[in-house]
Amino acid sequence: MAEVRRPDADATFMNATEPAKTGLDAFVSAWRSLTTGLAITAGRASHKPTTLRYPFEKLSMSPRWRGALRLRGVLGRDDVALLSASPPHHNETIAGLLAVDRLPPCVGTCPANVDARGQNYLIADGRVAEAYELVRERNIMPGVLGRICHHPCEGACTRARYDQPIAIRPLHRFAQESYAEVRAERVKPLPVTQEARVAIIGSGPSGLSAALDLMSLGYAVSMFEKDDKPGGALYSGVPAYRLPREVLHSEIDDLVTMGLDLRCGVEVGRDVTLPDLRRDHAAVLIAAGLQISRILPIPGADADGVRGALEFLRKANWEGEAGVRGKRVLVIGGGNVAVDVARCALRVGATEVRMASLESMEEIPAHPWEIEEALDEGVIATCSVGPEEVAVEDGHVVGLRVRECLSVFDETGRFAPKMGEATHVLETDVVVFAIGQASVLEAVVAGTDVELNERGNLKADGTLFTTSGAGVFACGEVVTGPGSAIGSIATGHEAAHSIHRFLQGVDLAADRTLRPVPVFEKYERASLQGVEEERLRAPMTMEDPIERVKDFRPVESGLLHSGSQHEAARCLRCSSEVCVGCTFCARTCPDYCITVERVDTPGARCVTRYDLDLSKCCFCGLCAEQCPTNALTHTGQYELSFYHRELTLFDKGEMLRDPLPTRATGRDGIEAPACDVPSGEVERP
Amino acid sequence: MPVEVESKRPVIDELGREVDELVVNIGPSHPSTHGVCRIIAHLDGEIVVKAEPVIGYLHRGIEKMAENRTYLQVVPLTDRLDYVGSMYANWAYCRAVERLADIRVPERAEYIRVIVCELQRIASHMMGVGASGADTGAATVFIYAFEVRERIVELFEELCGARLTYNYVRPGGVSADLPDGWIERCREVVRWAPDRLLELDRLFFGNYIAAERMKGIGVLSQSDAIAWGASGPTARASGVTFDIRKNDPYSVYPRIDFRVPVGENGDCFDRGRVKVLEAIESCRIVDQALEQIQPGPVAAEGLPRLLRPRAGDAYDHIESARGSLGVYLVSDGSPRPFRMHVRSPAFCNLQLLGLLARGHTVSDLVVILGSLDPVFGEVDR
Amino acid sequence: MSPLLWGGLFGLLSGTAIALAALFGVWWERKVSGRMQMRFGPQQAGPAGLLQTLADTIKLVLKEDVTPAAADARIFRMAPLLVFAPVALSLLVVPLVTGWAPLDSGVGVLLFLAVPSVSVLGVLLGGWSSANTYGTLGGLRGAAQMVSYEIPRTLSVLALVVVAGTMRPSALMGAWRLWWLPLFAVAFVVYLISSIAELNRGPFDLPEADSELVAGYFVDYTGIRWAIFMMAEYGGMLACSLFGAAMFLGGTNGLPGLLGALVLLVKAVAIVTVIIWVKWSFPRFRQDQLMRLAWKVLTPIALVQLLVAGAVAVVWLR
Repeated sequence: MAEVRRPDADATFMNATEPAKTGLDAFVSAWRSLTTGLAITAGRASHKPTTLRYPFEKLSMSPRWRGALRLRGVLGRDDVALLSASPPHHNETIAGLLAVDRLPPCVGTCPANVDARGQNYLIADGRVAEAYELVRERNIMPGVLGRICHHPCEGACTRARYDQPIAIRPLHRFAQESYAEVRAERVKPLPVTQEARVAIIGSGPSGLSAALDLMSLGYAVSMFEKDDKPGGALYSGVPAYRLPREVLHSEIDDLVTMGLDLRCGVEVGRDVTLPDLRRDHAAVLIAAGLQISRILPIPGADADGVRGALEFLRKANWEGEAGVRGKRVLVIGGGNVAVDVARCALRVGATEVRMASLESMEEIPAHPWEIEEALDEGVIATCSVGPEEVAVEDGHVVGLRVRECLSVFDETGRFAPKMGEATHVLETDVVVFAIGQASVLEAVVAGTDVELNERGNLKADGTLFTTSGAGVFACGEVVTGPGSAIGSIATGHEAAHSIHRFLQGVDLAADRTLRPVPVFEKYERASLQGVEEERLRAPMTMEDPIERVKDFRPVESGLLHSGSQHEAARCLRCSSEVCVGCTFCARTCPDYCITVERVDTPGARCVTRYDLDLSKCCFCGLCAEQCPTNALTHTGQYELSFYHRELTLFDKGEMLRDPLPTRATGRDGIEAPACDVPSGEVERP
Repeated sequence: MPVEVESKRPVIDELGREVDELVVNIGPSHPSTHGVCRIIAHLDGEIVVKAEPVIGYLHRGIEKMAENRTYLQVVPLTDRLDYVGSMYANWAYCRAVERLADIRVPERAEYIRVIVCELQRIASHMMGVGASGADTGAATVFIYAFEVRERIVELFEELCGARLTYNYVRPGGVSADLPDGWIERCREVVRWAPDRLLELDRLFFGNYIAAERMKGIGVLSQSDAIAWGASGPTARASGVTFDIRKNDPYSVYPRIDFRVPVGENGDCFDRGRVKVLEAIESCRIVDQALEQIQPGPVAAEGLPRLLRPRAGDAYDHIESARGSLGVYLVSDGSPRPFRMHVRSPAFCNLQLLGLLARGHTVSDLVVILGSLDPVFGEVDR
Repeated sequence: MSPLLWGGLFGLLSGTAIALAALFGVWWERKVSGRMQMRFGPQQAGPAGLLQTLADTIKLVLKEDVTPAAADARIFRMAPLLVFAPVALSLLVVPLVTGWAPLDSGVGVLLFLAVPSVSVLGVLLGGWSSANTYGTLGGLRGAAQMVSYEIPRTLSVLALVVVAGTMRPSALMGAWRLWWLPLFAVAFVVYLISSIAELNRGPFDLPEADSELVAGYFVDYTGIRWAIFMMAEYGGMLACSLFGAAMFLGGTNGLPGLLGALVLLVKAVAIVTVIIWVKWSFPRFRQDQLMRLAWKVLTPIALVQLLVAGAVAVVWLR
């Protein structure tokens, strides 16, 4: 153990022993010590006591006082507040909730702040149409996004800490499928109350979301689309196996029913000019998106067989044929577009599809589930290679020389690829570049004061979405660059707000609440050991990979009706302060003193009994920390005021129903009417 | 001074008559057993011939219970080990879990842990010294010691809502950040406390009667201290310069300047005085840590709610108020520990009682027991 | 008036006085010790908590009177009275008013010093008869301690007697002069220390040492019998404070009637306060240290004091 040494030999140790006194010195110091002691006690006695009188002893309570527990609301009777507000006030609602720490992570993480919690609540309650309409307020095409969204909400889902996140995206889709049946009677034209008219160039997600916001504010909106069908990138770029076109068009048709003046096949700059639009409309919104693919200027890039991704996708989507039948296809790029191209190539008859990405398998920017599905279907991934030259024979592509890539990002995380020495040739017949897109706006802005920068991009404000031209706004990928559909939708909402302010003559920025970007804690995947099957996320049914690559049939088959309601019922209703009977408190309690009884039938969910056996409770507070909804909190009640063992056992009735202060809840107790329990359906876990 | 005695049965008195030893059961319910300990004292008159501590009255099977609970659920159990210094058991356990699961603790959390544990050391030593005072009949010493302890416990209450079983240190950090203004209040306390501690030192350790009662009583030699596995103030009072904070530095202790008091005589007086001086040094440590602490996260990021460390084992120890407190964890990869073992300093130190009490009077027996400062939650587990 | 009636009357009066003394003494002790420990002491019952002791007494009276099965019942029940009666008796000889004591005997001082010794019996029997090892140890400690401390206590008072030349308490009080204070300061300290030891109060409360022997000789007593032990302690405190004030501090200072009694009482309360102060400031002695203090320190000092007093009496006063 320790070495033995004199304590004063070391500066880190000090001697605690006093030297012994002898003789007269000892006698005198003994008597002096007694008088010192008497002096100390007398000195203390002469001061005013520092303690307080008994009944008032606790003058202030520590903010983290662990007293008795209190349950605020309970599932079955206390409705979840829906995050619904008119477009100009939506950001204020979100920011207000964030300020008081009551914003659910899914809503906060979603770029458009879609109320996923409200959707789940309504679906679980069987009010699917209402759920669809709630989602549509912020996410104009729930059915479309329910198929293609990259669902950041699910990444932030609190349930992921415990088992698996809620299937928010599939529930959007489920809501749309159910809504299709009642669409005819529920979709009504919106009244036009404003005189000003607004023109929107482009019918992509951002343009459509701005259109819906403006229409709901009472404006008449005209939309100009150069293709023959609306949808923008959703129509031309997203492959049909991910997004059936009938879904897209039925949702856009709903907007038309609401009053959108949609003009397809009208190209601004050719059929009509921007000055024309500005003459007829009070405001113009450019939501044209990105039109062309970038192609690397490497040797051989002009050869026959080198294609751009967007052009390739357009052909594949519209014609079902892209000129690659029986050929080998090499896709350059590691993004989601590259994956789409690769999977489309398989479907239009390519014999071998290979993806060549600069990034390694771990860093690849495409979403992991997309990569996984592509690999399932037979796409070959070649990672960590950079294209060097296209091998050309007789003007035709025969291969691609690639150089190995050692690292893509430098220490600071910037894009700075470091290439190695080794090169080799990947044999192929067709090379598709899927490395990025650019906008083509020269024709649109020709002859106006709307300016482009030297790279051909629109000069636009990233928060207010204004351009250099008065009354001309821009949103979507022309402003943000390549991004997600839901991100574009979010910019559409903001742009609509700016246009509304512009048309109302209000300063664009004054007193405006910008969309808050909260950061929620990310958790590792939770262990699923010991979690019951029925608690897990409803699995998405998928088509067989061998069969599905043969045509453009949808890959995902969707959730079953009953499964969807059950899935929605898994939602923890974060930050709603309503107990949902998730039983995480009961499962985290080290003393096993919490019993939760609940009815778990979808449509009739309620908590029927909440028992907290205080005679076993150790006041560790873990249950309150675990509670995802903040329904369980500590009260200021002093635990020792329970004077009888019998009194320390109380149940939900006492915690919730008694309007008078109870032993359990102190003065904080709330009134809650009894929950109607369908007989014979009580589940006792 | 101890009297040379031999335990023999039957005892023969000076007139050659057979008399029995007087066997006195001290405890399990007795004012100065510091919990529920039973000491079977064999007395010859008032002289202790043999003292056997009988432990286990507070055995709750915490080590076994831990095997049935998840890693997070064990933290409140560790509160109940050393209930006078819950922060230590929290910390030792969390260190073992962190070692097992390779969790990196943020720096701010490490500073908070050092701050609360040094405050805990003051609070715990005040309990020990105060109880020594009560054992010798000086009730006022107890109250004065508790004045300091109370201020610290109030700080803890503000921090985590509890006054005794804090459940504050968690695997990966601490359960909550410091509240607003806590650092100022804490600094005020640690700058106020040394004067109070010195006053206590003069009132109790400076007192002639107390010195008479404690000097030369229960002398533990340096070699015995090492041989019996004593640690903490008990060992240091005997001149063993062993302190894990210095000998196996952990957390942010290497960045802090402090000294460790060591005694020479190894008697009850030195054991008590080492505690008071340690408490004064702890004030310095907290003051420095409060200067050095920087804003930042207080919990490791990305921890799942249900920890599943790799299969394997881990041991980690810290210097608690009573000595070297170690936690040994074995994991089989499941969310619950396969085995938890606590190396509790109070248990090891208590074993010295029989050795130290022999030949002293009953009055000294309780003083010796008090100076060993056992906490039976930790002894019995 | 027959002696029996007189005795009975006095017993009643002295019992009431002791009860009142205990009532006040306990309250005062709790208040003083509270202030020393940064507390308020009793506050709720009556003005400033004055009735707290009364409430406690009522509780004690109403409690069950338990006699342990193994105890020697008759002795066990008698022991508290054996402790109480001598204390009541010793109050007899304390001069309360200038020139008057209830029993102003010519050997009053001797009586005051001798009668409390009977308490030893009560302590010993109480401890032993309860058939409890703690009680037995406490009783034995008490016996040894009380017998030992009678020596320095007696010697310290004897020094006064030598100078005053009388053992009649009232006369002794009347003989007090201011220069007695410096002369008998040491004797007073010895008297105070040995009185505290006689009363089994801290730092000499070994017979009842709560941290060692739980409650010592009265560990098995409950309710009113325990209260009698407590009353005896506080009555004893009153008696020795009054006596000490009367003998060493000039008593009534020759003031007539109630005024003199008041002066005496104030001095006695001051002594009680000192006793309380000492108890709540110091740790407890150990048995062998206690004996050493009695025989090796206090007795020689008291003897030297007696010698000095004798010298003063012989050389100066004659």
